[in-house]
Amino acid sequence: MKAITTERGRAGRSRLWLKAQGQPARFLLIAAILAGLVGAFAVIAQMGLMAWLVHALIVTRAPLETLLLPLALLALTLVLRALGQALQDILGQRSSALVRQRVRLRVLEQWTALGPVKMAGRSSATLTNQWVEQVEALDGYYARYLPQQWLALLVPLTIGGVVVWLDWLAAIFLFLCAPLIPLFMALVGISAEKLSQQHVLEAGRLSGHFLDRVRNLTSLQLFGQVPASIASVQVAADRYREVTMRTLRVAFLSSAVLEFFASVAIAVVAIYIGFGLLGYIDYGPSQELTLFSGLFILLLAPEFFQPLRVLAQHYHDRAAALAAADALAALEQDALGARKPPPGKPDSDPEFISVAGLSLSYPGRGLALAGIDLRVARGEVVALVGGSGSGKSSLLHCLAGFVSPDAGSIRLFGNPPGASPIAWLGQQPFLIKGSWAENLRLTAPQAAATDLLEAVRAVGLGEVLDRQPDGLNTLLGEGGRGLSGGQAQRLALARVWLSEASLVLLDEPTASLDAHSEAEVIRALRVLATSGRTLIIATHHPALMAMATRRVGLHEGRLADA
Amino acid sequence: MRELRPWIALLMHRRKRLMIGALLMFLTLASAVGLLSLSGWFITATAITGLIWATGTRFVFDVYVPGGGIRFFALARTVTRYLERVYNHDTVLRLLADLRGSHFSALTRLDGATLARWRASQWLNRLTADIDTLDTLYLRLMAPPVVALLGILLVGLLIAVFHASLAAILVTLLLALLFTLTVGMAVWCQRLSARRVERLDKLRSQSVELLQGLAELSAAGSLTWHQQRLLAASRAMLNEQQALQWRVALGQGLATLGVSGIMLAGLYGGMQAYQQELLSGPAVVLIVLALMAMSEGMASLPAAFAQTGATRAAAGRLNQQTVLRSRLAESIEALPVPALHTLEWRGVQVGYTRLPPINLHLAAGERLAIIGPSGCGKSTLAALAARLIDPDAGDVLAGGVTLRQFQLDEWRTQFGYLTQQTELLHDSVAANLLLARPDASGAELWEALELVELADTVESFPAKLATWVGESGRQLSGGQARRLALARVVLKNPPLVILDEPFSGLDEPTRRRIQANLDPWLAGRSVLMLGHDPNALPGADRVLSWDQVLAL
Repeated sequence: MKAITTERGRAGRSRLWLKAQGQPARFLLIAAILAGLVGAFAVIAQMGLMAWLVHALIVTRAPLETLLLPLALLALTLVLRALGQALQDILGQRSSALVRQRVRLRVLEQWTALGPVKMAGRSSATLTNQWVEQVEALDGYYARYLPQQWLALLVPLTIGGVVVWLDWLAAIFLFLCAPLIPLFMALVGISAEKLSQQHVLEAGRLSGHFLDRVRNLTSLQLFGQVPASIASVQVAADRYREVTMRTLRVAFLSSAVLEFFASVAIAVVAIYIGFGLLGYIDYGPSQELTLFSGLFILLLAPEFFQPLRVLAQHYHDRAAALAAADALAALEQDALGARKPPPGKPDSDPEFISVAGLSLSYPGRGLALAGIDLRVARGEVVALVGGSGSGKSSLLHCLAGFVSPDAGSIRLFGNPPGASPIAWLGQQPFLIKGSWAENLRLTAPQAAATDLLEAVRAVGLGEVLDRQPDGLNTLLGEGGRGLSGGQAQRLALARVWLSEASLVLLDEPTASLDAHSEAEVIRALRVLATSGRTLIIATHHPALMAMATRRVGLHEGRLADA
Repeated sequence: MRELRPWIALLMHRRKRLMIGALLMFLTLASAVGLLSLSGWFITATAITGLIWATGTRFVFDVYVPGGGIRFFALARTVTRYLERVYNHDTVLRLLADLRGSHFSALTRLDGATLARWRASQWLNRLTADIDTLDTLYLRLMAPPVVALLGILLVGLLIAVFHASLAAILVTLLLALLFTLTVGMAVWCQRLSARRVERLDKLRSQSVELLQGLAELSAAGSLTWHQQRLLAASRAMLNEQQALQWRVALGQGLATLGVSGIMLAGLYGGMQAYQQELLSGPAVVLIVLALMAMSEGMASLPAAFAQTGATRAAAGRLNQQTVLRSRLAESIEALPVPALHTLEWRGVQVGYTRLPPINLHLAAGERLAIIGPSGCGKSTLAALAARLIDPDAGDVLAGGVTLRQFQLDEWRTQFGYLTQQTELLHDSVAANLLLARPDASGAELWEALELVELADTVESFPAKLATWVGESGRQLSGGQARRLALARVVLKNPPLVILDEPFSGLDEPTRRRIQANLDPWLAGRSVLMLGHDPNALPGADRVLSWDQVLAL
């Protein structure tokens, strides 16, 4: 797919994206607008009744006792108005919650589509920020802005209609100001949008910058870079303030423009009505003005502008949503481009892993694999041997289905990569902050406690576990803190043990193990191999190479002598 | 509200800005009240005058003063509102920038053991979200109720000019409404809003974990299960959020109903007073419209006060963190670090390792290798020397002086420590190297890369030194990341060197080449090397097994 690079193209894509996400919630949106309209009609009735009451009191000089029914009606309109307003809020929020949950689901699907290798270049803090905060940033747009966008059109038109009926000249004053408002808002809004996109970018950068500094805190301490990093965090926070302020200033300016027109219109209408009532104006409808119609118009004038003012207040919701949409739509596009259909079909033998003519290159890093042909029988233990950067990891990534090759084909026992579970062990063990059991169950959520124990013993961690105060429920720190490097790696290996996958891919599993742990790991791997599983191990460790039934050498992305 | 006290005190450092901000807010509200009430008075007065003039009685009615007043209020409302918003948001963001910096600096004073107790993702939330939540303190929770209170008093005074007892009743009603919309909402929504931050926090840390384990989880085919768990957490958060929004919507409905109900009471009271000829017609309308304009000061209160719980929870968490101090004692003496670079561990014990006391000596210029299985506790020796942790018993000495007597920063300039876990910044290759020596020249960077056999690789990247290193070095291979970390130690050029499993993840030929390069570089330095295999370390003068170390 061709990447959209022009700014207008991106803005258009964001708008389309927002519209598409809102589709499932459109009935809730309509209901929210209707509730808002009920509130608006109640306001018109309220103002009319109030003007009529004052007129009856002062001009007609009706006794208070005869005005009790209109007073009761007035009370009713007040209740209706509050109800309509609350209902509009609640319905808007329901629609927003619906949209946000669906967007979250889609983002998760897109992460899956992109795969671990393409995701590795993105900071997990930035991605998390996208999944949590940026999806939350859509809230205001669907909950408030969208219903208000319609109300800002419908309510002034309705009120304007009533004013035309009361006094068309006063209506002209209102309508003269009204069209200027959207014009100014559009002008101001365009730059607000751009600034807001920058704001979202800065917020993501700020959180990524910080998480990274915290992760590297030990290094920063050791290199004496603490003062410099404090300063850099402050600079980042300051830049965030500048960008935010720029966004806000523009947003405030747009509402100030509105405020100005609304205030001026009210002032002009008030003075016009006053002069009309005094009889200073002797043309048009002004001679027919009464206290009732004059007061009614005055009371309606602020309400005429109110929906537009509210819309202006929510304008930053739109800008924030568009900015979030820009990033989310870009992710969607990347994910669309990521899924290539697996090319070719050399053989579908269910007893073999076959790789034919496999080539892969990374943008900016050149060719990683060039024309690899490989056949591995079920139950084989293959050692991939080669120097750093020889393509060992890339080949494993292709086999696991994390990346789609540029050319060639892969069949794992007849299936394309990713079709059935594979056990994977990376260079650095993936451990979460949680208990031993939670870490073991990451890839086997339903595993029984006895299976967990068996797996732990199989990788030689039985003694270590026995020393833990709470057994399998003992908590680990983030990244396996509390365990040594070797122990952490073996805990991750215990997961491989737990899995029933027939193919096990190991990327330098013994890189940080001592001879003792290594022997245990190799023993565990042997048992795994004899259980009929196929092991493909990227390694340069002699003991692991010795364990393999076959060695496959790689050099600069090509097969070489091992 | 105890948890908010230190923050209110902090805000008070900018007392002047806060007061100017509140004054601007009040002027905005006063202009709105003035515009609407004066307009109502004007129209009613002109209507009555018009009616009387129609009967033939002429008297002078000054249209220019009220007309000018109306125009003035119209303009003032716009101008004060704009100024108020810009000024107040700038104030708040200024405070936030200060807060972020000071919080990060609090983190940097914590020791390794304390740091491990927290999750990086939780800290992220601390610094950005919690401090952001605290902005509600002034802009939403402190200034608006004060301004609303002032507005009520202003309207009360205005009404009292015409009818004192009516003013008293209406002011009482308005104050009751203000109390309900602020304190009432805060109490009603306390628990729901306090939980929201926790929910978001959980969502964030689960998401980070999913992303970090993406390779393993997606290979194992258990990604769907984890995604379902994430979505369930999101659903739970949205449900709670909706429950809160229900209450906010009802609160806002109550604000509308309350203000207009009081306005109705004012209308009824005014009509009564009018018929008893205690009040003129224009005054009735002025009172009613002044009350109506008060909705501008009250409308925002329920939504703001519903978030009190969240603000308090955020403040509570941040407070907890300031209590959490480093267990490393800062030196009082700040002795100069001696030029003679010997290290001695004298009867050292660290609680959590449950090891016997350790006695070990590293002579100046000596290369000592300690060989032991992973997890035996040998890295603790290095952490002690680097003062990432302090011993619970015994002492670590350099040149015969206890490390605690040096200034921590000063001491840390003396050695280069390659930690067992590779830590790299999500930044360029150059930025990662410059961490070791910010003033290093380009040639020096290449020299260091040359020594760790990484120069050719970096040379082959199109962006060379500016190549971006993925998070935790994930776009470099494990061995490349390891070598980059080693290059940093080389670049620092320290007299004392600690290498913890320096060659893990490196293939045999690369390791041998680096060993050869390191040999001359290490000459003359005092070196402590830790590993599980003597062949996997640079050449040593003395090799001790871990069991031998324990027996010393």
